[in-house]
Amino acid sequence: MTMPKAERDLHLPLSRVKTIMKSSPDVEAVGPEPLYLVTKVTELFVTDLAKRAHQKTKGNLLEYKHIAEIVQDDDTLDFLREIMPKKITVRQFKEIMARKAAKNNRSDDESSEEESSEEDSTEESSSDNNAD
Amino acid sequence: MAEKLEDLNLPLTVVTRIVKEALPEGATISKEARTGLAKAASVFVLYVTSAATNIVKNKKRKALTGQDVLDAMKDIEFDRFIEPLGESFEQYKLAVSARKSGAGKKKDEEEVETIEDE
Repeated sequence: MTMPKAERDLHLPLSRVKTIMKSSPDVEAVGPEPLYLVTKVTELFVTDLAKRAHQKTKGNLLEYKHIAEIVQDDDTLDFLREIMPKKITVRQFKEIMARKAAKNNRSDDESSEEESSEEDSTEESSSDNNAD
Repeated sequence: MAEKLEDLNLPLTVVTRIVKEALPEGATISKEARTGLAKAASVFVLYVTSAATNIVKNKKRKALTGQDVLDAMKDIEFDRFIEPLGESFEQYKLAVSARKSGAGKKKDEEEVETIEDE
């Protein structure tokens, strides 16, 4: 199926974008014009985010953490914060746990229960983002 | 609504192409970064769609229009995309009408033939 000339400046597949749009509640008909615009602006968005993240790199390697940093610092990217958390290394996680344990030991209550620290356990090795 | 999970993802190869075009030559991107951007793009599609749908509902219409998508950009604070998007939209509309006027002529001819056959 040849791509119609009008949409030739697009990279993203229109059919896939349409599927995603239709999975949104309350969406009824998605005509070609809004479909084109949503596809186009998503490409602009990816381009923009990639460029900004690249500015954060010291060398030339763009990594996840550069993107996560932009997302955490820019409020207009709030909608991405849940899927792009800043991640910490195992070592940082251990340091946080050690600090917490020290805090508990200092308090009168000696029986420091092991907290289920799911909020802290965004280790690089167990990131959801790798679950492909 | 039986979409497979992968249908809600944008193809990684395509996202990679877009990213490569955005960055200077020689730049490299980790797989994790590419995957992250692909997911972010999917979420962005939903985000824009939701904002545009809200506009449509407030205006008591049903079908999304191109203008609704453009207006949604303001609501989600992506004003900086409005101008380039508007320009692309104009190009797109021109291309569509050019295609239509070309196809239109053909259609008329076919209709005439059919009538003559009868």
